[in-house]
Amino acid sequence: MNAPGSSVLARLEAIAGAEHVLAQPGAREACAVDGVAPAAVVRPASPEQVAEVVRFAAAEKLAVVPVGGRSKLGIGGPPQRYDLALDLTRLDQIAHYDPGDLTLSVDAGMPLARLAEKLAAHGQFVPLGAPWFQSATVGGTIASGVDSPLRQFYGTARDFVIGAEFVTGAGALAKSGGRVVKNVTGYDLHKLLIGSLGTLAVLTRVNFRTFPLPALSRGFVAAFATAQGALELRRRIAASPLTPVTLEILSPECARLFAANRPGSLAAPLAAPGAWFHGEQWQVCAGFEGSEAVVARYARDLTRLAGEAGAAGVQIFDEDAQPPVWTRLREGLPLLLEASPAAAIFKLSLLPGQFAAVFEALRAAAERHALACALLARGCGAVYFALLPERNDAAALARLAAAAATIFEIAAAGGGHAALLFCPAALKRSVSVWGPPRAEFALLPRVKSAFDPAGILAPGRFAGGV
Amino acid sequence: MTPPAPRAAIPGLVPAYEDYAHCTHCGLCLNHCPTYRLWKLEADSPRGRIRQMILVEQGELAAGPIFVQHMDQCLDCRACETACPAGVEYGKLIEYARARIARDYPRPLFSRLARDFVYRRLLPFPRRIAAAARLTRFYQRSGLQWLARRSGALRLLGLAERERLLPRMDDDPFFFERLGQIFPAQGTRRARVAFFAGCVAQVGFARLNEATIRVLTANGCEVVVPDGQLCCGALAAHAGVRDAARDLARRNLAVFQKDSFDAIITNAAGCGSTLKEYAQLFSTEEPEHAQALAFQARMRDVTEFLATLGLSAPLKSLPLRVTYQDSCHLLHGQKVKDAPRQLLRAIPGVEFVELPYTEICCGSAGVYNVTQTEASLELLAEKMRHAAKTRAQAIVTANPGCLLQLRAGVEMHKTGQEVLHVVELLDRALR
Amino acid sequence: MLARLTRELEALLGPGAVLARAEDLILYEYDGSVEKARPDVVVFPRSTEEVSRIVRLANRYNAPIVGRGAGTGLSGGALARSGGVMLVFARMDRILEVDYENLRAVVQPGVVNFDLTRAVEHAGLYYAPDPSSQKACTIGGNVSENAGGPHTLAYGVTTNHVTGLEVVLTDGEIVRVGGKSGDALGYDLTGLLVGSEGTLALVTEITVRLSRKPEAVKTLLAVFESVDDATETVVEITARAITPAACEMMDGWTLAAIEEYVHAGFPRDSGAVLLIEVEGIVEAVAAQAEAVTEVCRQHQAREVRVARDARESELLWKGRKNAFGAMGRLAPSNYVLDGVIPRSRLPQTLRHITALGRENGFRIGNIFHAGDGNLHPIILYDPRDAAEFERAVRTANEILRYCVELGGALTGEHGVGMEKNELMPLLFSEADLELMRRVRDAFNPAGRLNPGKVFPTGKGCGEVRMKAQAEGAPPL
Repeated sequence: MNAPGSSVLARLEAIAGAEHVLAQPGAREACAVDGVAPAAVVRPASPEQVAEVVRFAAAEKLAVVPVGGRSKLGIGGPPQRYDLALDLTRLDQIAHYDPGDLTLSVDAGMPLARLAEKLAAHGQFVPLGAPWFQSATVGGTIASGVDSPLRQFYGTARDFVIGAEFVTGAGALAKSGGRVVKNVTGYDLHKLLIGSLGTLAVLTRVNFRTFPLPALSRGFVAAFATAQGALELRRRIAASPLTPVTLEILSPECARLFAANRPGSLAAPLAAPGAWFHGEQWQVCAGFEGSEAVVARYARDLTRLAGEAGAAGVQIFDEDAQPPVWTRLREGLPLLLEASPAAAIFKLSLLPGQFAAVFEALRAAAERHALACALLARGCGAVYFALLPERNDAAALARLAAAAATIFEIAAAGGGHAALLFCPAALKRSVSVWGPPRAEFALLPRVKSAFDPAGILAPGRFAGGV
Repeated sequence: MTPPAPRAAIPGLVPAYEDYAHCTHCGLCLNHCPTYRLWKLEADSPRGRIRQMILVEQGELAAGPIFVQHMDQCLDCRACETACPAGVEYGKLIEYARARIARDYPRPLFSRLARDFVYRRLLPFPRRIAAAARLTRFYQRSGLQWLARRSGALRLLGLAERERLLPRMDDDPFFFERLGQIFPAQGTRRARVAFFAGCVAQVGFARLNEATIRVLTANGCEVVVPDGQLCCGALAAHAGVRDAARDLARRNLAVFQKDSFDAIITNAAGCGSTLKEYAQLFSTEEPEHAQALAFQARMRDVTEFLATLGLSAPLKSLPLRVTYQDSCHLLHGQKVKDAPRQLLRAIPGVEFVELPYTEICCGSAGVYNVTQTEASLELLAEKMRHAAKTRAQAIVTANPGCLLQLRAGVEMHKTGQEVLHVVELLDRALR
Repeated sequence: MLARLTRELEALLGPGAVLARAEDLILYEYDGSVEKARPDVVVFPRSTEEVSRIVRLANRYNAPIVGRGAGTGLSGGALARSGGVMLVFARMDRILEVDYENLRAVVQPGVVNFDLTRAVEHAGLYYAPDPSSQKACTIGGNVSENAGGPHTLAYGVTTNHVTGLEVVLTDGEIVRVGGKSGDALGYDLTGLLVGSEGTLALVTEITVRLSRKPEAVKTLLAVFESVDDATETVVEITARAITPAACEMMDGWTLAAIEEYVHAGFPRDSGAVLLIEVEGIVEAVAAQAEAVTEVCRQHQAREVRVARDARESELLWKGRKNAFGAMGRLAPSNYVLDGVIPRSRLPQTLRHITALGRENGFRIGNIFHAGDGNLHPIILYDPRDAAEFERAVRTANEILRYCVELGGALTGEHGVGMEKNELMPLLFSEADLELMRRVRDAFNPAGRLNPGKVFPTGKGCGEVRMKAQAEGAPPL
């Protein structure tokens, strides 16, 4: 729908106000998904307006993609249709915050960074240390389902999102869960929305449990000549009483990327990397927090465990070193993405026991297809594997496509699964980003039609062709 | 089915509405019940059995064959009492239900004759017990047993398993000969106790009884074995044959009233739990009720008594890996958990390991292994599996019935452990 | 019709796996709640394939289907409200796999919660969700109700520990959702199914996370003269972001009843106590215990006692976990609520509950997960007195209404079931409920899977419950 009828624009303007309906190319291009730009961008001011827009879209059969900070629109399949971008950034308030109860209800358009600031004033935070932290919104982060290094201790969104308000594909305002930390009243529909890429409903508000900011926060980096050493340390930590808040394993290539100090496309440049990352070695980074006595214990034990695992070098870092290390771990995805004009980043969900075999197979696959690669693994089982061709051309795409098939197989052989999180839009013509179909995909359309009977929310972007 | 009329009142304690109503059907008992664990049927769970009792009391369920079957299948191990947060006294309820069945339900003729013979004509009479024991001993020693087992005759009669559970009868003397004797304390006398010797135990566990007396005297107890004492009546009470149990209780109360003791000791957990509840056999109006209260206040299991008194006899080292199977009527019936463990740990050299699921019945349960052999053997098999996992050389327990069952288990499953009573191990450490 | 279905089920499952006599069915009309409903036939499947065949057979007869574990639930979730076929999963009780390296176990639904911990504790592991009924309830039932427990304060409820499921859909199809890793590919169907109270599918296999036992544990008992002091303490512990592993409150007079039974050393003359547990590495536990003690003292705790050893701590927990049952000693029957409130509102809520009780002639006990704001007011009544029961239900509804007014919820861990389904409109709009219904219909289009649960039927709940009581056997 490249030229929306004036009546459509008029209706949207009537709902959101003329200045909040954008049809100029620049605004439309900014919301493009896999090269497809919407006909218009509408920026509603309230959940009611969101509902009105969706109802209108449903009546007119207009395909709608909700957008926030637009940092992760690349995730998912290419849209089948895309008429309207529903920009939620005007919904950016804290609706309810009870620091005494450690619960929070926040609008979907609130940027993560601003939320963090507001909560920090009360000594609290939401453990969404997600990439594109400066520009991403709460809603986009939840709907895209990205995880963060903090999941090692705090879990993923499904563990601390306690409720949500949203607009269904039929334009109905609905909610599930609540604002209390323990609740089994009704179905946990908000869990379905996490990672749903806006295909079920438009998130307008998300309820979280919040957590206290730690008294002290420290980190640890150990270097190993081989992946085996790094994995041995992970195993030893897992078998110990220690519960670090982050535990990341970097391949030498990934460490090299982190060590390079490139300006990048992030909203705010990262602090200089210092001497923390070494491109010749595998590195294990662990974050830990607590009182003086607790962090001292961690420093001691981690150093010992690293020694036992054969570490070539161990560094403990204090608060001052947090920015260079922590922000790179958090922004791992954009850093990998920027390392190549045609980066393809896979997320493999596995059990850590499979890491050794999978790491080896991944690297072999990259070599076989003559592709540079980098690997960033979270200690609890998520592996980000980036294929980094030097050019974005047909040959590179062909090699990526061939490698993708192998990588999906590697994940399945490791008892897990994989998704192709980011890649050149052109690659999506030959590769399904969700990998080979799974039996449970058959259930997805049923869920989809319960939420979005007209099929207008981000059609085609989700697994199983939803 | 026409009930026999008129119905006599069931003597002794009659549960009140509240006794049933305390059960809030929360279900916490289920997984503690051996029969529920076997079959996963509500009807064979404590909660389900109580519900059936209520329905029978309310006249909504017939006290017919289905009801009787589920009540019979209960081991009366009382593990559910330990599990019950509301303190439902299940033992009281099941025994009343069985007394009601005994009164109201016409069992098949053979079953009636057998019950009448065992509870009314055999167990109350020491001489008949001794005669039966000699007969059995002849069977076991003469080669008849060998023949019966080898010839397949037992299997033909469907008795192969049951026969294995028969106690091996003692060589002479039976313990009956010790009745009326007094055994002086070694060293300073720390207590004067009476010993309750049991019935079948006198012919099947005479050596255990002697060991018990040795351990007691070695630890400074003067032990009196009052003459005239009889079977405790536990088996009759469990079976619902209340009149027989009451007769025995009356006689025993009279015998033990004649003298005063610091404690009355039994080494049989099954007897002990009934002896400690003699008062329940009588309604509060009956004079025996008060007598029973005084009696049961002094009743102690031997492990309980020794652990409280403290061991004073020197013990030599017994290098042995030992596990302990809780006897249900000690753990659940009498709530004695620590005492036997304490005693075992007190023996130098003994390496004590807990038995997983020790709180679940081994399947012995009085005469259960005879009346419900199949279930009993299933429970036993499970028990032996857990015992093997402990890699213990000896399985220790606190009740003759459990000893028989576990010994049969060791034989059937060829697991090779020794099976001992706590006092047997203590006795061994004395010498 | 029913006789034919029964015969076919018997042919399918073999002897001993089907119950259809009235004497047997009457034992499946109750669970741990005050609700009642009788199935038409009860079956005991032993495999996923059998479950699938049972479902297909029931479909041919248009019979309702209800799953049941041990029947310890507290909202009537495992009762056959419209009759039909009840599948008891108790015989599907095998632990299929334990992956010690990756901390996962795969279990059949009939595995008893605590038996899983018993099976892995030799390796220093345990299964974290610990409902009070953990020694009897099944993991399948826990999954259906998304069961909680005291230690969910720190470790989360069942859903946080389930990574994958095998389910049988209403058409008999067998599907696996999720997996071992815990990250969904596609919608988080595992997250939807856990806590769906058996209305979407029958769970036949569960993959759960195992947890490592902490290095150190300290159990503290803080004794207060008044309920207010205790609730204010919880508010401050929460506000100061000391996160204990568990924080339980028991009011003084209910505590006296429990002590009667457990002899755990609880005071018999307190206003209220808090049972607080802190866990983790030694250094963290020491600091947390100190911080907790300090807050308790600031709020006039008469005594703060640290359990000397595992044994004493176990005894204290036994008292807590057996608390509801112990109430059976005080009255023939009791009605346990499960409302949740923001923790900052604890003091006023407890005062309000007491007042409501007084107005309606009840003394209401409170034994609950204070750290989560998950209340468990216990209303004692005599079921022989119909008017009193009606008053109890009314009082319960008023308490739940108040919880919702404060921004809370109807149920924190017991489930909606057939107990609170008529109250759902207090919390959810028609649009919310309509969407949930559409999701249910997507899985359970004919509505024959656990009918009459979760969603309001349109009748007043008191009315429905009184009717159920009148239809069943005289209440006991």
